[in-house]
This record gives sequence, C-alpha cells and structure tokens, in this order.
Amino acid sequence: MENKIKEIMSVVFETELSMIDDCSSIETIKNWDSLKHMMLIAVLEEEFKITFADDEILDMLSYSSILTILKNKLN
Amino acid sequence: MMHLKYLDILKKNIGLRKTVRGDIFKVAVLSNIICHQINEMIEFSLRSHGVNASVTQCNYDNIIQEVEKYAHFDAVIIFWEASNVTDGLYYRINLLNEHDVEELTDKTIGEINYVIDSLKNTPLVIFNKFSSTIFNYHFQKENNFDIFCNSINHHLKNNISTNIKIINLENILSDISIKAAVDMRYFYSSKALYTIEFYKHYVEHITPILLSTVGKTKKALIFDCDNTLWKGILGEEEFDGIKMSANDKDGLPYHEVQNLALALSKKGVIVGLCSKNNSEDVEQVLLHHRDMVLSEKDITIKKVNWLDKATNLKEIANELNIGTDSIVYVDDSDFETNFIKSMMPEITVIKVPEKKHEYPSLIRNAFKYFYSSGETKEDYNKAEMYRHEYLRAKEKNSFSSIEEYLQSLNLNLSVYMNDLSITQRMAQLTQKTNQFNLTTKRYTETQIKNLITSNHHLILAINAKDRFGDSGITALSIIHLSKETAEIDTFLMSCRILGRNIEFKFFDLIIEQIKKLEIPQIKASYIKTIKNQQVEYFYENIGFSITNRTGNAKHYVLEIDNYITKNIDYIETN
Repeated sequence: MENKIKEIMSVVFETELSMIDDCSSIETIKNWDSLKHMMLIAVLEEEFKITFADDEILDMLSYSSILTILKNKLN
Repeated sequence: MMHLKYLDILKKNIGLRKTVRGDIFKVAVLSNIICHQINEMIEFSLRSHGVNASVTQCNYDNIIQEVEKYAHFDAVIIFWEASNVTDGLYYRINLLNEHDVEELTDKTIGEINYVIDSLKNTPLVIFNKFSSTIFNYHFQKENNFDIFCNSINHHLKNNISTNIKIINLENILSDISIKAAVDMRYFYSSKALYTIEFYKHYVEHITPILLSTVGKTKKALIFDCDNTLWKGILGEEEFDGIKMSANDKDGLPYHEVQNLALALSKKGVIVGLCSKNNSEDVEQVLLHHRDMVLSEKDITIKKVNWLDKATNLKEIANELNIGTDSIVYVDDSDFETNFIKSMMPEITVIKVPEKKHEYPSLIRNAFKYFYSSGETKEDYNKAEMYRHEYLRAKEKNSFSSIEEYLQSLNLNLSVYMNDLSITQRMAQLTQKTNQFNLTTKRYTETQIKNLITSNHHLILAINAKDRFGDSGITALSIIHLSKETAEIDTFLMSCRILGRNIEFKFFDLIIEQIKKLEIPQIKASYIKTIKNQQVEYFYENIGFSITNRTGNAKHYVLEIDNYITKNIDYIETN
C-alpha cells in the first residue's frame, strides 16, 4: 500500500517517484494545491474502493497522514 | 475510457503527451463550477485518437470576463452550471416573485448571448443545456428553478449558430444516476459538483463531436452475418431457420439492429458485410428472405468469402476509399473480434453480447461514432453514392483502358462560384476531406461566409455527376485574390470522385476564372499530413515550380500564361 500511495502521488502531482518519501507533504510538493488535492482524493477513493469523510479529506495533507487514515479505513 | 480508472487515464495521458505529435488542438473549458478534473480526460481521449490536444481552464466563474481570450481556440467547452448561475440560485430562486425570475432569466440570456457572440468564429463550441434535475427530482410540481432552466433552454434552441453544439446533461445523469454523477461533499466546500464517473461519461459523449471538427468521424458500419445480422447459422439451418423477425422473440433483437443500421444508412453511413459464408447463400437471403430489413440496395459493400477478416476489412476500406480507422465492425465471435482488435486497433469493434437483449442498445450507443455536425443533402444520398462508386469500380474491369472507361461515364461538372447557399456543405468538405486535400485547412460555415463576403476571395465548388448517379458537391477551391497574384488557399476533392481526372478539369476552370480577372500570377502550397501523400506532387505535375520549402510545406508559383490547359474532352461542364 505504501508504494501504491507514492505512485498515485507521483502521477497526480506530476512529480518524479524518487522525489516522494515518507516526509512528503503539501509543504514539500510544489504542485499540491487544492485542485490537485481533489484529484488525489478521487484517485485514492477509486483505487482503494472507499469514500473519505470531510474531516479526513482535510487531514490528508501529507504522505504519513494519508497512510494512517487509509490503514484505519481499510481495517 | 468509461472503463478505465482515473489513475490509468492520468498515467496514459502522460505517456501520450510524449508520443502524440502534430498541430496542437487547443481546447478551453470555461465554467462557473470547479471542473478541472475533466482536463486530463479530454486530453487523453483526443490524444488516443492521434489528436495532439491541450486543454486550458478559465479561472473559476470567469466565463464572461475571459471568453474573448479563448475565441481563437479550436474548441471551447462551456460548463455553465444552472445551480450556480448566482450563489445558491437553485434554492434562492424559489423565494423570488415572477417578475424577478423573468429579470434574472433575461440577464442570464444576455450573458449567454454575449458569450456565444464572442465565440462566433470559434470552430466548435460545446454548451450544456441547463438542468434543474439534480436539485429538483424530488418535487411533484414545477418550481421557479425549472421554469428558469426551461426558458434558458428554449432560448438556446432558437438562437444558436451552427458552430454551437448543445449537450443534454440529463442523458448522462439518467445513464449513470444522479447519485453516481454528483458529489455534494465538494459542492459545499469547493463548488465542485460532478464526480469523476460523470466526467468520464461526459468526455466519452463529446469526443466524437470534437473529433468531427478534425475530420475523424467513423464512416462505415460493417456487419458479420450469422448471429450478428440474424440469429442462427446459414448453411447449418434451413433458409427459414435463421431468425430476424419482429414476430419472433429470438429474432426481435436482430430485427431492431437491422432497423438501426437502416436508419444509419439513410443518414449517409456506409453499411456493409464482412462474413465467412458462401456468398450465394447470403445473396439468397438478401434478395429473398421476407424478414430481412436491410435490402441489397442498403448494403454498399460485401466481402462474403473465406478469407481472413482483416484482409477483407482492408479491402473494404480500399474499395470505398476510406481509412480503416473509419470502420466500426460488429461480430459475434470472440476469435474474430479479438483478431481485428489486435491486427487493426484503429477499427472500433463491437462484439454481439451474450445477453441478446443488450445487443440493440450497444448499436444505439454506436450512433455517436458517426456524429456529423449538420446533415446535408449529400449525407443523405451518400450511402447510395458509395454503392454507385462500388458499381463503377466493378465495371472498370471490363474496359481495355482507363480513358475508355472514363469516356463511357458521361462525366458532368456544375460550377458554383461564391455561392452563399452551399456554405454548410463547403465547410463540411474542408472538415472531412483528408486525402485529396493540398493544405487541409479546416473552415466553419461562418468562416466560409466571411470569405465569400470579403470580396477578395474566389470560392469555387464543383458538383460532379455521371451516368451512375450524382455525387453532389464534392470539390472545392478557395483562392485569395490580389491585384498581382491569386493564391490558392484550399484545393480539395472528396475521395468519392477520385480517379476520374476531375481535378485537372477543375484546375482548368480555376485558371479560366483567374484569367478573366487579369491576374498574371498564381501561387499555391502543399502542406504534408499523414493522409495527403497522394497529392504531394500535384502542383509539380501541372507545371508549377517550387519557390521555397518551410517545415512540412512546399510553396509554388506559376505564371498564368505558362499554364497548359488539359482540355479533357470527356468531362462536360455547365
């Protein structure tokens, strides 16, 4: 799941996969704006077949929080 | 595309960005809601058809402010969402009185008129019908929001020009359900209304319209026979054992499919057969089976033999003078459909579904591939003309020389000069002609009108007929005139009339007109595309000299006095 999230982030933000690590966040990725954030959520929801709540969407602003929220959801 | 996940669309689009080349097809999306998710989908959809698309969005809710900036684009898509015409319109409007609703309607119509007028020279504008359904489907009675949307739609229907295509969003909403099409989470937080699922269907819906402006429309619908046009296998069943009757529950889906094919053929789509059968057996069914809806004359071309289907489909494309990418092929066999998909991925393949009740709706869905912007008389007669073409090709074999054959045709050309009554057909010719087209410049009806009324253009069109039939208006030249030079901007001929030396006769006529205007010199260009190789040396062959080359273009000049008239005596003109 870790690699899948990074791959998704790399495609959505049009950033080299190697540039995305465990510390990546909205602060470190240049292309991560509110529009791209909606695309990111749409892709995650489609790939993992889940729906996020409003609060979750607002919290998912870093690689680590995406991972935590996704793990919670899927368990 | 509807079956791809969003992630795959994004990934594939990045890949196609590197491989698809050619002129950039500029698309702008103007909207009053957030709909940026659509950009990559449109790019992907067009790029996968070889069109080098680039999509730009206006700033949120800036349709009116920014429209002029995008007027020179190849296509503009307007997402004018009724519910957000003003903030919270869909619930606020029900608190307004009749007079205020009318005022708001008039104001919105004024804005729409301004936008439409600003885009009058844009080749294609896609405009969504206003819809209240998402917010009003619960109510038994019509309310102000419904009335508002209906008034706007009524205005749109009566006041649009030919470059504007109206899309009915409710068709997509009914197809996938409002629940799947709308995501209220983002509507309240970010003014984004529609889901990825909705946009996939929307883009699929409008892609044929966008493609039609660059001449990429499907032209032929080719059927296998057994278990495709009828139920059962000819040769195994008795003649009456195959089923395609409206009075038989097994035959009914096939009866409907044949009716749909007949409707397409009346719209100018070529309907043909490509099947592995004994050709006499199929011939007998076409001529004598009482349940056949399609008759011999509706079927333009037949390849009924035991050769492989890829070879036959290639032959069909050759004989009809169309690209294989213009074919939609229907077959019930997994083997055949997969074979064609792998050998000729440019062909759209439809497999007859296992559940026969789903078959007619698959064919109805295929109607969109044959999208044509306006239906002209030529469209209506096209299937008939292609059939004549095929008969002519057959007859060719029985003459000892091509000249002898051409002489026997009684070819006759009528000339139209700067004629405003045929602008729609002339625009269509520029948009659809790819092979015999020296510069492949595309024009809209409005642009053609403007050229004619400009007074420094000579626009000649040719209607060609012969003893087999009337091919309609099938050749066009646009010539820019100045005192010293006549410059040929466009010279094209529909592939339906190729191989009859009509181009030479047409050129004689052009020279005759230019001489009358006492212009001493004529200039011309050939701009290379993937499809127009056959005319690469046209100007060299009729006596022009190359002056220079730029990129993929050659530029020519010819002193009028040096032109040698071809005087083809077997083509008459009037």
